Amino acid sequence: MDLPFVKEALQQLFSKSSCAMYPVVPSEAAPNYRGRIVYHPDRCIGCGMCERVCSGNAITRMVEHLPEDQGDKITLTFNLGSCTFCATCADFCTTHSIEFTGDYHMVATKEEDLLVSGSFIKAPRKKPAAPAKAAAPEKAAEGCAAAEPAAEAPKPREDGKPVNDPAKCVYCTLCARKCPAGALTVDRAAKTWTLDEDKCVACGTCAEACPKNCIIL
Amino acid sequence: MFKKLIQESMGKSPWLFHINAGSCNGCDIELVSVLTPRYDAERLGFKLAGSPRHADIVVVTGPVTKQSLPRVLRAISQVPEPRCIVTMGSCPQSGNVFRGSYSVAGPLSKYVHVDVDVAGCAPKPEAVIDGLALATQILKEKRGQMK
Amino acid sequence: MTIVISALQYLGYVLIFPGFLFCFLAGMLLCGIDRKLVAKMQKRVGPPVLQPFYDFFKLCGKETIVPASASKTTFLMAPLVGLAALVVIQLFIPVFSFSAFSGMADVIVILYLLLIPAMSVILGGAASGSPYAGVGLSREMVTIISCELPLVLVLLAVAKTVGSALGTGLCFSLSDIAAYQAMHGSLITKISMLPAAVAMLLIIPGETGNHPFDAAEAETEICEGLLAEYSGAPLGVYKLSHAIKMLTLTSLFVALFLGGLGTGFVALDGIILFLLCVVLTAVSISFVHAITARLKIEQIFKFYWTLVSGLALISLVLAWYGL
Repeated sequence: MDLPFVKEALQQLFSKSSCAMYPVVPSEAAPNYRGRIVYHPDRCIGCGMCERVCSGNAITRMVEHLPEDQGDKITLTFNLGSCTFCATCADFCTTHSIEFTGDYHMVATKEEDLLVSGSFIKAPRKKPAAPAKAAAPEKAAEGCAAAEPAAEAPKPREDGKPVNDPAKCVYCTLCARKCPAGALTVDRAAKTWTLDEDKCVACGTCAEACPKNCIIL
Repeated sequence: MFKKLIQESMGKSPWLFHINAGSCNGCDIELVSVLTPRYDAERLGFKLAGSPRHADIVVVTGPVTKQSLPRVLRAISQVPEPRCIVTMGSCPQSGNVFRGSYSVAGPLSKYVHVDVDVAGCAPKPEAVIDGLALATQILKEKRGQMK
Repeated sequence: MTIVISALQYLGYVLIFPGFLFCFLAGMLLCGIDRKLVAKMQKRVGPPVLQPFYDFFKLCGKETIVPASASKTTFLMAPLVGLAALVVIQLFIPVFSFSAFSGMADVIVILYLLLIPAMSVILGGAASGSPYAGVGLSREMVTIISCELPLVLVLLAVAKTVGSALGTGLCFSLSDIAAYQAMHGSLITKISMLPAAVAMLLIIPGETGNHPFDAAEAETEICEGLLAEYSGAPLGVYKLSHAIKMLTLTSLFVALFLGGLGTGFVALDGIILFLLCVVLTAVSISFVHAITARLKIEQIFKFYWTLVSGLALISLVLAWYGL
């Protein structure tokens, strides 16, 4: 008959317990703990990448069109009751508007207590200046078979949407693949790069993805 | 006089029954770690009961799978009143990544009234203690309203 | 008139001093101290000492569910029978020199009465009609059978020692054993009684069904076994009778082996009895709980019928030869 814990039991009877007395003594989460989500709507551009990559379908994005050119009210809601806290949304967010804090006290009696939401107004895109738009169709119309060697690099647009430098572009179609809104059409054979301005959300993913750095925002 | 005593005692000695409705076991591990010496829920009166008939608080983990649904409902119906149902983790609250799967029967709130949700995947043991303390409060109020 | 007074006196004994109220308070306090000590030995903080009181009153406030396949009267009456039997045993055990019902009962009656709480648990489990209870009650029967043999040997050893000292052969009366110890010092001071005392210390957790001998009530294996279908007030009464059984067995140990430590005053004797019971609970119930794992039912049977019976037998043989 073998009684292995006799010494430990007697010693521990007179020593202090190893209990972190939680409700009486507050305790902090470890650094970089992925707890409650804090959403910063002022930094958000409403690109919707987070909603696409969320593994638990916890993010919903609602767009409300405001009257008279005031733009769109975009509301993002994070349902903590469906969130896996994997932080993929924060990793993909290009403007760092999703933050995972160290607050782990997420106890609720109603489902509404677990929703984190915020909204911001997205100003309408300004119409670009007429000459720039008129110049582009002309260039395309002229065909430019003898492409003018490396004219000045294209200037960035005022509304923040991407502009492609055709001199550097190799039509690899990476930007079109990475575009979360599907706003780019690149034809490798015909060597064309077309931007659908209505779909573009100016998130900048195409510029980051381009291996030749030929897209400017 | 006895009513007050019984109500006070209800808040000091809640017994737990744990049901795993198809969980990945992450939340189960965090729940039993609440009973280890580091967090020691027994000093607050919590005890894991072996039979649902002995329990006051039912803790459910896991998205409720179709196979486990009738068993979970039967076990919950065996818990005597007053009782409190706590869902732990995001799976029983909404299905989390398993939502819409062919074998998941949906959030637990579709079938029984859930009193407390402890969100997290998996929630920290301190958050579990918070949730159980809130459930104990609700249990005391329910006892006060009985009879 | 004297009949009324003595009737009131007996009623006081039954309800208050070594009777119901004393059993309730002292038994629950012993249970609470046991849980606290086990927690301390496991490096935890543990529940407050008054926790069993909170458990009992909480269970009184829960709804009582009688399963459809249970026989209702047995199901509800079984716990009360067990509780009544335990209070009666406590009434017959002398508190050092004070005995409530002296001359009316002896060790053999106590031996038979100790079977009744076990039978009430078995009957309650059988009445609930659940297969888990069936497994639990067969294990409980084996546990009780395995504890009976060493208990009989210990009682015989004590009876023979006191009997041969008093010249009457075998002395089974507990008040006589108490009187002998008050005059000649506690029986535990005799060397021949030491193995019997150790055997009795090992019998105590087995009879109460405490860890490591709680195969009958195994929580994780058979969903609390015997008490699986109980809820509410009957379950509270079962937990109460479990606590009182701890008090009864430890005070039986004190009456048999430590009887010479009493003063003449009843109140002081009661307190000394309680303190001795606390020490005995710490040694034989809490300490053994903290350092062991649960034994299988075959191991429990083998343990009691070989090791513990062997110790008690040594004492019996030594007592028989007058040493």
